[in-house]
Amino acid sequence: MSAGHIQINNIKKIFARADLNSTLLVLDEVSLDIRPGEFVSLVGTSGCGKSTLLRIIAGLETATDGVALCDGEPINGTNPKRGLVFQEHSLFPWLTVRENIAFGLRATKQYSFKKELVDALISMVGLEEFADSFPHQLSGGMQQRVALVRALAISPDVLLLDEPLGALDSFTRMVIQEELVRLWQERHNTMILITHDVDEAIYLSQRIFIMTPRPGRIIRELTLNMSYPRNRSDSAFVDIRNIILKQLHFATDTHEDYNL
Amino acid sequence: MTSGANPLPTLWELKEMESKPKTRMARLFDRIICALPILAAALELLQYKLRPNFRNFTTTDAYTVFVSFFAVLILGLFVASFFSKRAFEKLRAQSPLYTVVFLLFAAYDHATLKTGLLPLPYFPWPDRILNAIIDDRVLLLDCIGNSLQLLFLGYIFGAAAGLLTGVSAGWSRSIRYWVMPLIRILGPIPSTTWLPIILIVAASLFGGSVFLIALGVWYPVTMTSMNGVQNIRKANFEVARTLGASNARLVFRVAVPSAMPYIFQGLTQGMSVACTALMVAEMMGVESGLGWYINWQRGWAEFAKMYAAIIVICLTFTVVNMALTLIRKRVLRWQEGGAGV
Repeated sequence: MSAGHIQINNIKKIFARADLNSTLLVLDEVSLDIRPGEFVSLVGTSGCGKSTLLRIIAGLETATDGVALCDGEPINGTNPKRGLVFQEHSLFPWLTVRENIAFGLRATKQYSFKKELVDALISMVGLEEFADSFPHQLSGGMQQRVALVRALAISPDVLLLDEPLGALDSFTRMVIQEELVRLWQERHNTMILITHDVDEAIYLSQRIFIMTPRPGRIIRELTLNMSYPRNRSDSAFVDIRNIILKQLHFATDTHEDYNL
Repeated sequence: MTSGANPLPTLWELKEMESKPKTRMARLFDRIICALPILAAALELLQYKLRPNFRNFTTTDAYTVFVSFFAVLILGLFVASFFSKRAFEKLRAQSPLYTVVFLLFAAYDHATLKTGLLPLPYFPWPDRILNAIIDDRVLLLDCIGNSLQLLFLGYIFGAAAGLLTGVSAGWSRSIRYWVMPLIRILGPIPSTTWLPIILIVAASLFGGSVFLIALGVWYPVTMTSMNGVQNIRKANFEVARTLGASNARLVFRVAVPSAMPYIFQGLTQGMSVACTALMVAEMMGVESGLGWYINWQRGWAEFAKMYAAIIVICLTFTVVNMALTLIRKRVLRWQEGGAGV
């Protein structure tokens, strides 16, 4: 797949804080080049601007300065080529599972000739029994599976994942992580994942960008050459985890607040 | 307890298994409670048939049939309660209420027909009111038809206008800029205030009354739908946009359905405002309908017929509101806990 090339050049984002009568630098000179079909993660503590960066790529926010390109075109507003999955509560509560998944197909006028796709996606995530249930009748894990395939239904070139598994328990999270790898290997679209779960980033991505807050900057980029599926207790896995934790100041005893 | 091969218990069986076993005394007590409404009805029937009436007050069999009808219904349920757990639970829960209702009938009958404590013509006894409904049924049905026609015309226009202004004002800042002052000024004025002006200005009284009712419905529906659209979860919107939704789709497939719980609050409030406005309009101007009927019968000092009309109004509005509740449950079945309540 050749589509789904994301280029971010020297992006700056300043937020207005009307209540404090001040402004805040959220992203400072951030640059990224994500190849089509690549799986990358952005990790960092909360407040480092990683969600803002993802929202700029989605077209939900505009950068104060700098350029964001998708396949060479400047990103200007949302586009069904760039799908988005939020952490939670983004399913349409008034639609059934089936109708949620069909939403994008209807919006992009493909539903009439892709009806079977909806059923295929439902069974892909094992929710056949719940096809006609409403979101509040599903568990958190099921809801996120639906959100995931809803975004995939219209085959976006880029899938933006904003801590999609952040609200789930760790067992459900591992199961869906496996599913994510499978989905990505089948489709080979570009995946950009935001997470504060270091293991999740290592388990899933080919490249990891580490960000620090105030102002948000990318301080390190790691390339992972391990094959999929990955083993969480592998020595290479553990080494990379140590590197990332050290970079985020979590792995040494010299830090005053956190001892691991 | 049971082996794994046995099927799971049904909901009723489970409830039984989990509830504390009742003593013989408690079970007997339950049966007595279940029988009480029938006893109360029998008491009232005995009083009605056997006790001499006050002065020369006359009665018919209409009331006997009326009370017997409900007594027989309950008797049927009582018999069924020995065979069906569900019928028993239902009767056990409702019978204290039924009993009190029959006793209230008996007390009122005692105070009017049997002793004259509450004097005529202001307090006709139940049998007289019942006969008033039966005698005037053709006119009353006609009045119900006229009232409902006026009510629904006004309600539908008002709700449609309210949805239009509310949703568009919730959606667009510039529309809100113009709609808000209008709402601020018109909102606090009860719509019936405009009646004297409408009586003068309106080309037809019927049209004017439709407008009056519509105005009353418009306000709550506008307010709630505007609120509903403004309170949509941001994530729903953003996801819809990334899924390629056009602006029209965002309004009609995201904003409006997501605002439905709010909109139904407005529709319910609007219905009670509409009923009030309907009565005022019919009593003050329109020469048809149940409100007019009451006023007209008052002119003839026909108090039984006034009470009859009030009962008919009560039944009519109850049915209308039940219909609205059913529609709401159907539309909002996606809400958490919405299905059961």
